Amino acid sequence: MSPGVNLLEAQKLNVSYGEARVLFDVDFRIDDREIVACVGRNGAGKTTLLRTIAGFVKPVSGTVTADGTSLVGLPAYAIARRGVKYVPQDKKVFADLTVRENLELGSYATKDYDWDQVTGYFPKLKVLMDRKAGHLSGGERQMLMIGRAILGKPRVLLVDEPTEGLAPGIVDQLKEVFRDLSGKTALAIVEQNLPLVCAISTRIYAMKEGRIVAELPGAGATTPVECEQYV
Amino acid sequence: MDAQLLLSGIIFGLSIGSIFFLMAIGLSLCFGLMRVISLDQLLYYSIGGYLTYTVSVGTGSVWLGVLAGLVVAGITAFAVERFVFRRIYDRDVAFSMITTFGILIGGVGVIKAIWGLVPRPVAMPAGDQVDILGTFVPGYRLIVIVVAILVYVAIWLFLNRTIVGKAIRAGIEDVDHVEGLGINVYRLFTITFIIAGTLSGLAGGLHAPLIMVDPSMGLEVIALVFMVVIIGGLGSIKGTAVSALLVGQVMSLGSLIYAPLAQMAPFAIMLLILLIKPTGLYGSPLLKR
Repeated sequence: MSPGVNLLEAQKLNVSYGEARVLFDVDFRIDDREIVACVGRNGAGKTTLLRTIAGFVKPVSGTVTADGTSLVGLPAYAIARRGVKYVPQDKKVFADLTVRENLELGSYATKDYDWDQVTGYFPKLKVLMDRKAGHLSGGERQMLMIGRAILGKPRVLLVDEPTEGLAPGIVDQLKEVFRDLSGKTALAIVEQNLPLVCAISTRIYAMKEGRIVAELPGAGATTPVECEQYV
Repeated sequence: MDAQLLLSGIIFGLSIGSIFFLMAIGLSLCFGLMRVISLDQLLYYSIGGYLTYTVSVGTGSVWLGVLAGLVVAGITAFAVERFVFRRIYDRDVAFSMITTFGILIGGVGVIKAIWGLVPRPVAMPAGDQVDILGTFVPGYRLIVIVVAILVYVAIWLFLNRTIVGKAIRAGIEDVDHVEGLGINVYRLFTITFIIAGTLSGLAGGLHAPLIMVDPSMGLEVIALVFMVVIIGGLGSIKGTAVSALLVGQVMSLGSLIYAPLAQMAPFAIMLLILLIKPTGLYGSPLLKR
C-alpha cells in the first residue's frame, strides 16, 4: 500500500474556531517518501488541517502523532524542530530582510548551515542573495519559502497552495523540486491545481466542508476529472 | 529669538527627546513583536528613577544609581514577562493594556509604600556648563544625548547584525512565520521584554536628575511617550528616533515662542502626521493578529 513507514498520522481531528466547527473527525496520514495531496474548495478546511498539524491551531479533540510521539499541545516551533514544517500560502517572506538573512533564520532554527540543496533546487536564489526579500517576485518568494523550510532536512513538509498565482514555468520547476524532495522529505500539499496534483501525488485526500470525503490513489491512477467530482 | 536661546533650546529639546526615545523603543518593539501594549514600561522608568535616587544618596554616585536602576528594572521586567505576559500573549491587545495598567498602578503603590509620597531630588552629576559656540549648556544634558545615540547604535547593530536581532525583525513582520521555521519565539519575546524594561529603567535613571522623582513620574510622561511611538510608527526604531527628536524639539522650541505650546504642540504635530500618514512616519501597516 505505502512505499514506506508511517511518518505522521492525525486521527479523529476536530477543530473549531470559537463556535464554528471547521474540521470533523479528520483522519490523515503521511508515509515516508510520499507526496500526499489535499484538494477541496475554499473553506473545506485544508489550510486548517495543515495549521493544526503544525501546531498553530489547537484541536478540540483528536491526535496528531509523528514517529509515535504526540504533537498535540506542543508549541509550533517545537513541532517544526521535530521535522514537521509548515509553508504557508500567503507567500509572505520577511520583506525587510535580505534573501540571505531569510535563509540564515532557517539555518539558525535548525543549525543546518549547508545551503547547497537550496541553491541546487533554486539556482536563482544565488544571484538574489543580497536583495531584500520584499522585492522578489511571487515565484522567487515561493522558492525562498520552500528553500528556508527545507534547511535542517525536515521529515515532513506541509505546503499550502504552493503554485497559487505563479507562472507556468515556475510551477513546472516546483513540480520537479517536489518530486526530487519527496525522496528525503515527505510532502503534504494543499493544492487547487488538479492536473498537477494528479501528476505528482502518491495519494489524494478530497475534503469537503471539514470532512475527508475520499481518499484516492495518486501517481496517474486518478484523472483530474475524477478528482473534480469529489470537491 | 537670539542664537544663544535657540541653541540652548535645541539642546534642551534633544535631551528630553533622548529620554522619550529610550522609553519609546521598548514600547515600540513590544508592540511590534508581541502585539502587546506594555504600559508597565512606565513602572520600570519609575524604578530606574527611584533606584538612582536611593543609590546616589547612599554612595554619592548618580552613575552607580543609574546602573542599579537599569539592572533592577530589567530584572523586574523579566519577572513580569515570565509570570504575567506568558499567560496573556494569546489574548486581545486591549487585554494586555488593562493588565499592564494594573501592574503599573500596583507598582506605583509599592513605590509609595517604600519611598513615600514626597518628591525626591537627585543631585545633577557633571553639573558643569559646557561652552558651545558661546552658549553655555548643562554638560549633563549633553551626556544624556550621547547615551541615547550610543543606545541607538547598539540597538541598530543588535537588530541588523546579530541573528537574534534579525529574528526579532522578522518577527515584527510575521511572528508565526518565524515560529514555523522552528525558532523559539517565546525566547525572543523574553529578550525583547528585558531590553525594553532595561532601557525604560535607563531612561528613568537619566531623567531623575533633571526632574524630581515622585511616585507618579511614569504617569506624567505616559502621553508623550505614546505620542513618540505613534508618530514614529509602531515597531520602527528609526521612526521612534526621528519622532523623539521631533517631539523634543517641538516641546522645547515651542515653549520659547509661547510657553503653553510645550504641552500643546506635540499633540498638534501628532494630529497632523496621523492625518497624512495614519501608520506614523516609518510604520508599516501592522495588522492585529
